[in-house]
Amino acid sequence: MLASCATTQVALLDAETPDGSAGAVAVIDPATGAERGQLTQARTEARLGGDAVRPHPLRAHFDALLSAMPPPPQVFTLYFVEGTTQLAPQSLATLDQLRAIVTSTSDVQITGYTDTTGDAASNDKLSLDRAIEVRAALVQQGLPVSNARVTGRGQRDLRVPTGPGVSEPANRRAEVIIR
Amino acid sequence: MHRAIVAGLLMVACLSMAAAATAAEIGRIKSVVGAASVIRGKSVVRAAPGLLLQTGDSLKTGADGRIGITFIDNSRFAIGPNSAIALSKFEFDDTTHVGASLTTISRGSLAVVSGQIAHENKDAMRVRTPTSVLAARGTRFVVRVGP
Repeated sequence: MLASCATTQVALLDAETPDGSAGAVAVIDPATGAERGQLTQARTEARLGGDAVRPHPLRAHFDALLSAMPPPPQVFTLYFVEGTTQLAPQSLATLDQLRAIVTSTSDVQITGYTDTTGDAASNDKLSLDRAIEVRAALVQQGLPVSNARVTGRGQRDLRVPTGPGVSEPANRRAEVIIR
Repeated sequence: MHRAIVAGLLMVACLSMAAAATAAEIGRIKSVVGAASVIRGKSVVRAAPGLLLQTGDSLKTGADGRIGITFIDNSRFAIGPNSAIALSKFEFDDTTHVGASLTTISRGSLAVVSGQIAHENKDAMRVRTPTSVLAARGTRFVVRVGP
């Protein structure tokens, strides 16, 4: 049994959403690290192993395989009152929505964020506190603490890009991902 | 002196147990069809929805087996029948989004939807096949390794 006898193929599929880009897959020589080529067109495939990558139109379909693909994670955003872990009034409905979805088997990631007022260190803490506050609300609903990961990303990843020291409601948020 | 050695060994044993106990979750099995198992070190467990996965775990499916996995960077796998796949490396810092992953497929089929690792770190999400290494550049793709 020589591994090199095995036929190995890679196929690039359409993006999952109609507006998404198919991206690309690069093929790299494991010994040298050199790029042998890449697939850049959706619905093409190429055999791996040779020196060159020659994409051709995809003939196979992967319906059975893709039926095992988990659904995309659902994302919700909650907003906060400036400098606090208190939900902005317009986010109370979103929290109710989340409470209705979450069950004891949900797998939830909660990431807090801040705007750029205050210093980076205190924003890291405030963003984590926001995430913890949201977790508490969901745990009350029956979500096991061990199924909820919390992180604070402070003022990284501003939803609305601003300079330092700018109060921006859209950036004071927590993102909840239900996987 | 013997006592010191024993104490030292105990300490090493405790440290490695602590490491095992706190091994970080990198993803979860979301769905299983047919025969499918997870190999962790010397133990083999039946794959089941909700099972937490760790770096170093291997997944094997039988002729009727399929597994769906969602990782903590939101990337997802669908593993087809007759597959052997190892989660060789998975590092992801959910504060900075810095990370890298390497998945090894020695046989079978694997469909991948890339996540934040591929999105934020160029060529950091990799799949190793018997003949080459693939780098995901924000994408959905399928790798097949034939018999």
